[in-house]
Amino acid sequence: MSNKISTAVRRVDAVEKASGRARYISDYEFKGLLYARVLRSEKPRAKITGISKPDFPEGYYYIDGKDIPSEGRNNIQMIKDDWHVFAEGEVRYIGETIALVVGPDKEKVLQLLSEIRVSYKEEEPAYTIAEGLACKGGPLFGDDNIYGEYNLVKGNPEEAFKNAVKVVEGTYKTGFQEHLYMEPQGMVGTWEEGKLTIYASAQCPFYIRKSVAGVIGVDEKNIRIKQVTTGGAFGGKEHFPDVIATPLAVAVHKLKQPVELVFDRIEDISFTCKRHPSEITIKTALDKNNTILGMDIDTRINGGGYESSTLIVLQRALLHGLGVYNIPNAHVRGRAVATNTFPSDAYRGFGAPQGLFAIELHMSQVAREAGMLPADFKRKYFIKTGDMTVTNTTMKDVVKLEEMFKAADDMSDYSRKVKEYEHDPLKGIGISFVNHGGGFTGNGEQEIIKSVVKMKRTGEKKAALYVSNVEMGQGLQTVLRKIAAQELGLDYTDIDYDNPDTDIVPDSGPTVASRSTMVVGYLIQECAKKLKTRWDEGIGTETEHHYVHPPGLVWNQDTLQGDAYPSYGWGLNVVEVEMDPVTFEIKTTGIWTVFDVGIPMDDTIMAGQVSGGVIQALGYASMEKCEVLDGRFRQHTMADYVIPTSVDFPEVKNVFIENPYAYGPSGAKGAGELVFDAAAPAYADAVQQLTGRNIYEIPVTPEMVMGALK
Amino acid sequence: MVDSYKPATLKEALALRKQHDLIPLAGGTDLMVKYQSWSGTLPRFPKGALFISRLPELKGIEKRGESLIIGAGATLSDVAAFPDTPKVLRDAVLSIAAPGIRNIATLAGNICNASPAGDSICALYALDASVVLQRTGSERTVPVMKFITGPGKTVLEGDELVTAVIVLLEKANISIFKKVGTRKANALSKLSFSAVAEVKGGVIDGIALAFGAVGPTVVRSVELEKKCIGKKRSEIESNIEEIVRDYSTMIVPIDDQRSSAEYRKQVALNLLRNFLTEELAGGMR
Repeated sequence: MSNKISTAVRRVDAVEKASGRARYISDYEFKGLLYARVLRSEKPRAKITGISKPDFPEGYYYIDGKDIPSEGRNNIQMIKDDWHVFAEGEVRYIGETIALVVGPDKEKVLQLLSEIRVSYKEEEPAYTIAEGLACKGGPLFGDDNIYGEYNLVKGNPEEAFKNAVKVVEGTYKTGFQEHLYMEPQGMVGTWEEGKLTIYASAQCPFYIRKSVAGVIGVDEKNIRIKQVTTGGAFGGKEHFPDVIATPLAVAVHKLKQPVELVFDRIEDISFTCKRHPSEITIKTALDKNNTILGMDIDTRINGGGYESSTLIVLQRALLHGLGVYNIPNAHVRGRAVATNTFPSDAYRGFGAPQGLFAIELHMSQVAREAGMLPADFKRKYFIKTGDMTVTNTTMKDVVKLEEMFKAADDMSDYSRKVKEYEHDPLKGIGISFVNHGGGFTGNGEQEIIKSVVKMKRTGEKKAALYVSNVEMGQGLQTVLRKIAAQELGLDYTDIDYDNPDTDIVPDSGPTVASRSTMVVGYLIQECAKKLKTRWDEGIGTETEHHYVHPPGLVWNQDTLQGDAYPSYGWGLNVVEVEMDPVTFEIKTTGIWTVFDVGIPMDDTIMAGQVSGGVIQALGYASMEKCEVLDGRFRQHTMADYVIPTSVDFPEVKNVFIENPYAYGPSGAKGAGELVFDAAAPAYADAVQQLTGRNIYEIPVTPEMVMGALK
Repeated sequence: MVDSYKPATLKEALALRKQHDLIPLAGGTDLMVKYQSWSGTLPRFPKGALFISRLPELKGIEKRGESLIIGAGATLSDVAAFPDTPKVLRDAVLSIAAPGIRNIATLAGNICNASPAGDSICALYALDASVVLQRTGSERTVPVMKFITGPGKTVLEGDELVTAVIVLLEKANISIFKKVGTRKANALSKLSFSAVAEVKGGVIDGIALAFGAVGPTVVRSVELEKKCIGKKRSEIESNIEEIVRDYSTMIVPIDDQRSSAEYRKQVALNLLRNFLTEELAGGMR
């Protein structure tokens, strides 16, 4: 049965984007615009011993930490404020911002940059998780290079391992992943009506406002952020824009002139955050019947040179560490490691894909150790409503994994193929099951974000909605309009929803964590209901709605115990592959997915999310190699950092299983990250079957397949 | 800031070439990337640019006797579309980049860029192609195999221009081009392999095998190929491992951001073995 809200409409931004009329930050014109370029660290770890500069002609400026107003501070307030706006005497990664060179002529700016000499006293860098943990070159953070450590314990894992007849162990590794949004990072800062104003390609206007206000040393209300049409983000424009906005703000505050800071593509790949690399060791204790007694999971992620939001990413990796399974006894440990790579940050899934990759691949390997096929084994441990989670509370979702498996099996013929390919050296089929907590972890929504949305009647049959959440290609401007329109009995095109401007919209939180539809959409739904009851008060009537945490959920942020998420999206992916025995290239011959996102909010938009998320994850799984060589990303051009094209993978065949969520708009749950989570382990599992060898690392390149077959 | 020149005729272009130290630029798809700078600024060309893509003398492709004369201004799309283009070259050209690039990039430019991973170069080695080099008052023809001397290095003199590429039309009845790229389309090569062979009366009358991206230049050995001439199918089949062994010593690739030396070597030899077994021996049946 299809819901009315699921019926696809034409996206409000479809024509202007497809026709090229949409204006992105580089398309704006500002009178007297100056151009900024970053003076970057050339060393991964060093003390700055001196900087020699040429004489700057009039109208050209060297902007650094000395230009920060005395009321401000040289720290970027992200989750942690350790990342500096401008390097302070030392550098911790290649590309770290030392200064901006600003001026009206780009050629002259480049020339001045080329004449600046930075002298360094070099220190020994640590790049990998192992080097970080070994404190190579001496600790970079604290006395052990560990930004943070967590331990989640369920049941009695020690006892489980004591009673084990067999222990299966594996260490699973994932690499950096570049977002490769279509539009590189960029913004323009201006001084408008006595106010520092930034036009930004970004996900979180209020995050930028907070960071900039702290750096300039003014009340947040004295800073204005206007989001402009954003050409993709995938988490790359969650925190990182603060790293651009803050030095830019310092320049604009000093010069009172418009300044542009837009990255070129190679600059963007080379010097922006990537997904956290991970190494996760899982041990599973089995009894004599090959039943799982317990698990020990040790998660390490590479945070890079500054902590920033790394611990929140780590938390999500751990909270998804047991995947969709009810494991009776478990110890999930996590450490975030300081190294001298570019700081890692948010990327679609925010740690969950790393944790889920490890547990899914491991469960497939344990299945084979137990003499069973992966799906048969995994299904025995599916968590059910009321079972205990890794944070020692009950699973409150209605879990439909069995129904989802049946749908996938019908579509893909998995059960027959997995047996047939068991001894086929050229074919394999893999399966993975995941869930993804929607919204902020734990008490983030109710204690930190405290979202507010606003609506207004603006005409006879017109209304406007005011939120801080942005359209970044995911379809939000269409979906939120549909939600509001449904309540008001209007057409979705009768609702206005402009790109957010922090002087106009309330803070409904960042556009992250699969929360925009589920959390903000619900607030809009409730806000629209209020507006409807007051509709007759006339044009200009406004209503507001504030976030209220769903009842019956508890959370302790200190111990990470309780209901980690208000609800979960659920998913399963089946991936079928063939190998070319001459070149070891893997061809994907089928992709079948089943997702429970509550109620899909728009069939076309959700089909886009599924295709995009799944193929992005298959790129991560198969080709997106991103190595660090001497502190730099080795694949830093679009020629060498390869993402899938339309011919690399077949069409994704998907069905949704409806499972309405009481506190989502029309029953919707989070979806944007869930669709990324399952494809990488399914792909690796398929290659495992094909090669008959365990896979422990992605991307699974042809080079790696050749090595495995040796 | 450097000067740029846009001559109207080949004669004028050659005169400018003699007069100044200039970089010839046809499609610019390699050069503009190589010398790119901050967007909105000029590319950082180390010397002046000589724009040659519009020269009428360099346009066009024609069949002359047993040869194909491909003007230096002919784009990859032109080459792919020309009906008499040998299959191995057509396949190689169509494996390069994407249609937009192929519409502007030239075959001559791909040769002059002299990348060991240049896909058309691999095919041109196997086709015994030559380039025509002109300077004011003289002309010489150099085999592509001799024209390219190393990565990015050619014997082109400062006052010369490549004006045409000459490809001998295949008598080959067996012909393959195989590219192993970083993905299925719009990709650079990890390695490539071109093979053409002519089988007459059950024996090999001619054969050429070329390997791209497995050494500083495309690898081809006329010596080793000679060993196959005059051989029957059964003789090839019984010598496959020996042939593979011979090539194994010649193929010495490197590790880089796109692949590993070990993979390149193994797969190059696999492609060779597969060609000998399937296409060659199979084609002699």
